[in-house]
Amino acid sequence: MEKNMSKKPTVQPALHKVIMVGSGGVGKSALTLQFMYDEFVEDYEPTKADSYRKKILLDGEEVQIDILDTAGQEDYAAIRDNYFRSGEGFLCIFSITEDESFQATQEFREQILRVKNDENIPFLLVGNKSDLNEKRKVTFQEAQDRANKWGVPYVETSAKTRDHVDKVFYDLMREIRARKKDENKTSNGRGKDKNKKKKLKCTIL
Amino acid sequence: MDVPKEPNFHLLSAPEFVPEKYVRTISHNYVGGSELKNLKKRIQALSDETNNSLKKNVYQNYVQFIDTGKEISHLESEMYQLSHLLSEQKSLLSALSATSILEDRTQVNFERNPKLDEHEIEEENKLKLATILEKVEGCKEIVEANDRVFIFEGDLLEIDATENTAIKFVHMYLFNDGLMVTNRNSNSRGLMRYAFESLYELSSLAVVNVRDLGNIKHAFKLLIFPDTRVFQCSSNASKKEWLDKIDQAKKLRLATEQQKKDQTVEKPSPVRAVSMDLSASKPEEVAVVHPEWLLDIPDELDVCVAQRQFEDAVNYLRKAQNYICKFNAKHSAPDAVILNIQEKVELKQNNLIDILMNELEVNPKKSFQGGLRATRTAVRLLNDLGRSTQCCDLFLKLCSTMLKNQAKKLKRETSTITYIRYFTSATFTNMCYMIEEFLRAFPDLPYCVSAYVAWAHGHLTIITNHFWTQVFVTKATLSTITECVQLIRAQCERLCEYGIDFRYKLDGQLRKFINTALNEHRDKFIDSIKLRANEDKWIPMNFKTKGALTRCLQEHEKMGLKLDSYVSGDVWLQLTSSNIAFTKLFLVFLDNCLNLQTTELLEPINDSLCSVFEAQVAYNKQALTFQPEQNLFVLKNIGFLLLVLVELTQRKYKESIGFECEPLNKLVNENSALLKDLASRNTKTKYSSDFL
Ligand SMILES: Nc1nc2c(ncn2[C@@H]2O[C@H](COP(=O)(O)OP(=O)(O)O)[C@@H](O)[C@H]2O)c(=O)[nH]1
Ligand SMILES: [Mg+2]
Repeated sequence: MEKNMSKKPTVQPALHKVIMVGSGGVGKSALTLQFMYDEFVEDYEPTKADSYRKKILLDGEEVQIDILDTAGQEDYAAIRDNYFRSGEGFLCIFSITEDESFQATQEFREQILRVKNDENIPFLLVGNKSDLNEKRKVTFQEAQDRANKWGVPYVETSAKTRDHVDKVFYDLMREIRARKKDENKTSNGRGKDKNKKKKLKCTIL
Repeated sequence: MDVPKEPNFHLLSAPEFVPEKYVRTISHNYVGGSELKNLKKRIQALSDETNNSLKKNVYQNYVQFIDTGKEISHLESEMYQLSHLLSEQKSLLSALSATSILEDRTQVNFERNPKLDEHEIEEENKLKLATILEKVEGCKEIVEANDRVFIFEGDLLEIDATENTAIKFVHMYLFNDGLMVTNRNSNSRGLMRYAFESLYELSSLAVVNVRDLGNIKHAFKLLIFPDTRVFQCSSNASKKEWLDKIDQAKKLRLATEQQKKDQTVEKPSPVRAVSMDLSASKPEEVAVVHPEWLLDIPDELDVCVAQRQFEDAVNYLRKAQNYICKFNAKHSAPDAVILNIQEKVELKQNNLIDILMNELEVNPKKSFQGGLRATRTAVRLLNDLGRSTQCCDLFLKLCSTMLKNQAKKLKRETSTITYIRYFTSATFTNMCYMIEEFLRAFPDLPYCVSAYVAWAHGHLTIITNHFWTQVFVTKATLSTITECVQLIRAQCERLCEYGIDFRYKLDGQLRKFINTALNEHRDKFIDSIKLRANEDKWIPMNFKTKGALTRCLQEHEKMGLKLDSYVSGDVWLQLTSSNIAFTKLFLVFLDNCLNLQTTELLEPINDSLCSVFEAQVAYNKQALTFQPEQNLFVLKNIGFLLLVLVELTQRKYKESIGFECEPLNKLVNENSALLKDLASRNTKTKYSSDFL
């Protein structure tokens, strides 16, 4: 029943699935493209749902990151849930220049927790557009407080200046990796555990 | 050591020819400057000759190229006409089939949104579902499910989501509510090419556009928890089509669901919930309540049309049709209210179309003050209503009428040239304006473009016929004709700016007229030559005063002829009166011919020029035998014609056409004996002072 044993050994390095969530226009695509291709896009084109994959070195170990850049909203709740289900870690993004987008993070968080049914899912609260400090509507403290309440890290980024862009992706991947190690241990040790997501995963493999 | 060969073309152009080596051998073998100089001269001559023949070749190719271009533009307009005829035929056929099948129902034949014909769609869909049923094993329940609508299908390659390796080919079907994946049927018996694998509900299917997956291109993902499936398309365009189609289907589904919700929430008015005739067969179907605005639309349409707010009327039509279309896509059973409204709306639409068409109709009572600009709204709305074809025809009829009216208004001027100037300028200015309006009114409609070209083509014939009656039938002089032809050619060129090149066509239509005019003029010219020759005394011209002679010399110099060498004494010119008269008329004739020329007219032009020239020379030769005492004098006159006048003629001819008039050179050669005679006697007279 072990993940990597059920199939012939994979040639591909471990794959970590990251999902970008947040209101439209906060910079999900901009952060993704900056991380993927070191470029900043000025023109705003709403995304439907795009996926990217890249091989990177995470603390000396080669891994793959799979990024799902989602649309701001999805009409069918069932479809949105399916997007969220496919993720192993989340970057929940708002724009520090727009309070509404910060408020929206609350709902995204709830949806994710409901879908993943896991309080400890790897998750970062990200305040983007830090280069526009003069237009700031959300204080650092406010955002930090919310992150503390959720028990997740808060990081401010700028897709424009590339500030902390690598950090949020790498930090999230470390959490995902740690979680996976944990799970392996627990499932090795005690067999089935209370984690619903994991249970489902085992049944298919 | 090689003996240096005579320089010739073959030697110099041989592939093994090396200039340095050749020069070295020459300098070894030739002694003395004069020999080398001679050799240089020969090489120079060779180079000139090559140069000339090269130029000639280039020119000839160029002429051929231009001619081919003209032919092509001609062909193009013919293709347009053909396409016009075909589309006319097509609309005729479709009108025919519509009337015969649907007998008494006034069937509206939509050109641009045939989708509105819900019956056809339903039939088509049934047919499609039936073929799917035949092709795909195990999809019976899915295909036979109520109101499932087929949208799109295609082959895809499934990729392993983690390994990035190909797994298998699949054939996918998109329905209005779901995506069906089928596999290639391995034990394919007969028609069952595919085997059903899975069906995904659109309302829970998460689709992801794969932007970057290493070397896997044109792929998209389906996230169906807990699976992630990656599919690769054949091209990016194909991927885009799949994503768009799925998205559209999803949106449509959402909209209909929303509508359903709205309808059930809306106040249920029992009056409106008409029970259906066919409801007995499907008792479980609930009567649907339609929004108020839909029921009001027929009345609203009446009001709009009465107030001539056509634009609003079209908007109402659209709104109603959209609603009905969506409704029908969702409900298989006909709804009495909808049918009723649909019938009414169709009637109103036909009424509206009639009124709009009437706006464009040619009517003797109507003034066209606003010009084509005034038709813009009607044209746009008719295009919107899918009536571009009829609208385009009406528009062009209107153009015809306007051109005709405008031509009638033009005063018949006393001078043909002035009249033609006004006429061609007004006509072609109008045609340019009409193209502009036309392109504005019917952008990107291939049928309409070909209709326009066909119309313009037909109109050109009308123009040339009118031109012909004004210019040729009135027995205008060749100079007038030439000027008029130049005018109309220049005007016609203006159309080229709009991509319509009718020059070739125009020349073709004018050709036979010009040909006749040339022949008539040639015959008249020959008659006058005969007349003058008979009156000629074959003696030198006496100008009586010195001033008169000087004037004559100046006049000829302006024409390009220097006659000083023919002057003797103070008032005498050593040329006969008929030859002087001929020279003048011939040069005018030549100018006209050169201005009229097109490649196709070259033969009749050459023929005319040579005929008149030959006639004049013949009378001189006659004089040579009948006036023996004037023998040398007449011979000199012949020399003037064949050498001086021909030289000028060839110069002008070459300048305009690019090469010399061969038949004229032939004429000179035929008379070379006379010229030799003249040359020998001229040298003699150099020594004998008793000339004349
Ligand atoms: N100044 C600034 N603009 C940003 C930043 N990130 C995104 N933008 C701009 O915000 C707009 C929306 O970004 P986008 O990535 O499309 O947002 P998404 O809808 O969340 O994917 C774009 O015009 C971006 O150029 C940032 O860090 N700084
Ligand atoms: Mg985006």
